[in-house]
Amino acid sequence: MGWTREQAKQLADQILSYSRARDCDVRLDLVQRTHTRFAANEVTTSGAMVDLNISVSSRDGKRTGTLQVNETSREALKKAVARSEELMHSAAPDAEYMEDLSPQQYPEVHAFNEETASATALDRRAGIQQAMEISRARKLKCSAFVQTTSRWSAIANKRKNFGFFASTQATFTSTARTQDATGSGWAGGASPRLLDISTQSIVERAAKKAESSANPRALDPGKYTVVLEPQAVADLMPNLLFSFSRRIADQGKSFLSKPGGGNRLGEKLFPDFVTIRSDPFNAQWPARPWAGGGGAGMGGARGGFLGFGGFGGAAFEGLPVRKVTWIDRGVVNGLSVDRYWATRVKVEPLPFSGTLTMEGGSGKIEDLIAGTERGLLITHFWYIRPVNPQNVELTGLTRDGVWLIEKGKIAYPVNNFRFNQSPVNMLKNIEAMSEPVVTALKDFSSSPMVVPAIRAKDFLFSSKSDAV
Amino acid sequence: MALDRAKKAGASYADIRINRYRAQVVNLRSEPDFATGKVNHVPTASDSETFGFGVRVIADGAWGFAASYSVTEDEIARAVKDAVEIAKANAPLRSSPLELAPVVAVHDTYRTPIAKDPFSVPITDKLALLRNVADDAMKVSGVFSVTGFIAQRVEHRFFASSDGSQIEQHVYQISPEFTATAVEKGKKQKSRTYRPHAVTAGYEAVERAKMPSHARRVGEEVVNHLKAPPVTPGKKDLVLLPTHLGLTIHESIGHSTELDRALGYEANVAGTSFLTPDKLGKFQVGSEIVNFKGDRIRKESLSTCGYDDDGVKTRQFPIIQKGIFVGYQTIRDQAHLISQKESMGCCYADSYDSVPFQRMPNVWLEPSSKPTTLADLISGVDDGVLIDGRGSYSIDHQRYNFQFGGDAFWEIKGGKAGPMIADVAYQSRTPDFWSACDAIGGEALWENIGLNADGKGEPGQINAMSHGCAPSRFRQITVLRTA
Repeated sequence: MGWTREQAKQLADQILSYSRARDCDVRLDLVQRTHTRFAANEVTTSGAMVDLNISVSSRDGKRTGTLQVNETSREALKKAVARSEELMHSAAPDAEYMEDLSPQQYPEVHAFNEETASATALDRRAGIQQAMEISRARKLKCSAFVQTTSRWSAIANKRKNFGFFASTQATFTSTARTQDATGSGWAGGASPRLLDISTQSIVERAAKKAESSANPRALDPGKYTVVLEPQAVADLMPNLLFSFSRRIADQGKSFLSKPGGGNRLGEKLFPDFVTIRSDPFNAQWPARPWAGGGGAGMGGARGGFLGFGGFGGAAFEGLPVRKVTWIDRGVVNGLSVDRYWATRVKVEPLPFSGTLTMEGGSGKIEDLIAGTERGLLITHFWYIRPVNPQNVELTGLTRDGVWLIEKGKIAYPVNNFRFNQSPVNMLKNIEAMSEPVVTALKDFSSSPMVVPAIRAKDFLFSSKSDAV
Repeated sequence: MALDRAKKAGASYADIRINRYRAQVVNLRSEPDFATGKVNHVPTASDSETFGFGVRVIADGAWGFAASYSVTEDEIARAVKDAVEIAKANAPLRSSPLELAPVVAVHDTYRTPIAKDPFSVPITDKLALLRNVADDAMKVSGVFSVTGFIAQRVEHRFFASSDGSQIEQHVYQISPEFTATAVEKGKKQKSRTYRPHAVTAGYEAVERAKMPSHARRVGEEVVNHLKAPPVTPGKKDLVLLPTHLGLTIHESIGHSTELDRALGYEANVAGTSFLTPDKLGKFQVGSEIVNFKGDRIRKESLSTCGYDDDGVKTRQFPIIQKGIFVGYQTIRDQAHLISQKESMGCCYADSYDSVPFQRMPNVWLEPSSKPTTLADLISGVDDGVLIDGRGSYSIDHQRYNFQFGGDAFWEIKGGKAGPMIADVAYQSRTPDFWSACDAIGGEALWENIGLNADGKGEPGQINAMSHGCAPSRFRQITVLRTA
């Protein structure tokens, strides 16, 4: 199972050899996934899947046609290239067409762990068994999910550009609920190495949160000082970072736009201690060495069918990643620039890439709690959606544990809340931060980041939620 | 071969799905060039065609699953072995063996009725259509950009099980739409979307949508929306058009009546439900005029097909009757957990390499038996808002507290709809909201609203379904100003 660099290159070269178009891009992804799911104190589903995605884009200097397939016979590959050329001929000219990349220097990123790639159902069962034993011993209703993903990716074109990347990812999350359904706790972790995830500690954290959040007292909505656990901070970041686009800012559609035109690059908008980067080389969650989509665009097998997703993937496709500081000691230091926009504003393109990291303080979350006169401790958030893209006002809900803090101590659990809050203002209102830690992989929401817990004032909760 | 091997390896049940998927998206983004102001048109034409299989077994009372893109005898044999080993490895963690509700073994086929194969329509025609829409919308002074797409997909599914079924299905789905955006640079932005119903049908759905005839209206409405005054917040009556209400139904009723949530199977990700099994047959979710059906057979609805991924024939079933919660969405391994003898046919996997599990069918609101018109609904409102289209949407993990925006808003004063207003969202709690429903439009106003992409599960899967409804009125709902 898996590819060496040479095997991936051989397949890419074979596909490129069938091309008759002026340019041809190939993206390859061989993916092996395994998972075990445990819910309501029972193991539910468990599986091992292997899938392949071959994306072929034929290009003629004005137009692009893209086909995704997964069959590898000589005939299937020849047909795929021919079909992508037909699509190219059918497509209209692209006013933002960018020429294919010449050979790039992709940095070395070490992200593959053999033990994770070869983990069996029995290996995955260990964490699940801990969840089961702890939940039964403590009379909780427990859920847990463990997944490993091994991926071999390649990018290639007719201009001799080639990149290869092998990676593994493991994630473990757990939710414990009290039998009377008045308490719920969640915890999770992620790593390129399955064995580095402390499943015991995650299950115990979730169980402790469930027990200590039981029978919450009613508390009115309003503005509160909050202590956000690192996962809650991570949950708010993707919508914030979407605004760090030079194109969107220049078009007047971001909080980083100036009224009437121009952007706020270089302006100090946040306190001195706010520094946010993306770092593809972060050992806790390394990233692919090139930017853009890895082959999976839309469609394919997946059951829904999505429409236009913006200009993210193709516009950055294939650029080497690097470490970027988006906010440097409170100053807006970087805005991502896609390849076309870079030609219009005459700067170098700058892709989003890699794991988001945020500098923090030196203490623990307990120190943040101890320094809080009155506030709320939040485990994480759920169903976050933008309400106003201009100022990044978001709405969403707290979940799996909210506690009132009084005079530096956790007083008692309280109900969940809906928030209406911009992370822009949250960053401006930070009072203190803990050491950064790596967060979990949450399906459909946030990728792991390395961020601190924070204490911020004036976080607006607009209504109560009865959900537990 | 796969089913025999699974039985020999110790499986008490096995099924295999061998599926081929073809999807195509044609889209066009039109926006002004930064330097010259000239409109740049950026098209994308992409197709995908993927093929693979998934084998599911029960061995020693537990599920095991394995899948691959490589459909060969050797790979199927390897996958069967893996699936059985996985099931046996996990079996010691089960407190009791899985039970499957009975199913009638069939040999059958199903095909979405289509008039025009969407894959036979040239991409040049689709791009030309989107270009016409963009050109017309951008003729309206103040429109900044337009994006549009036509997305289409066909699933060719083969299912065979150790119960003796062999089922072949071709399911076509199609979704066209476009969005115009207006911007006051650095201050505010609004968008307006024309979203014809996403359906299981052929290209005829795109043709009857008549997108170009809506381009100028959409352009004018987005410009008016940008200039519109903000709403005055407070308790107001809402008249919700189907294009808006479909998503509210999805989040508040569709998800809360999924049995896997109610049992805690989704507790670690999508959440549980306030509609716990003890409420079945008793709990008043809404007013007496509120009736919902679960359904996978209604013509053109996105979840409609012949059989689910358990091999169960699809059907229609009541979910809410006269405001009372009466039915869950179920699959074969859940029915006995609420003492039911059959599955409602809600099993689905979004790919050959995804594990089938309980997914939402079409969930639709029955229209009024009276010929109630939109004017009737509006005339009964002294201070309210008429809402069209989808905006921001968020609901808690037990489906109580929600906040919804919209795509366009008109003030209602003294029984009449007035000018557009802006920055509207409303918050409510599912049982309070549906209990506040005091009027539903008649059958002539009923529309079949398709949702393209609903996420659930671990690993996450995507599903599409429809939520038909007529315009409906809700009394004294909390309205917020969002800017």
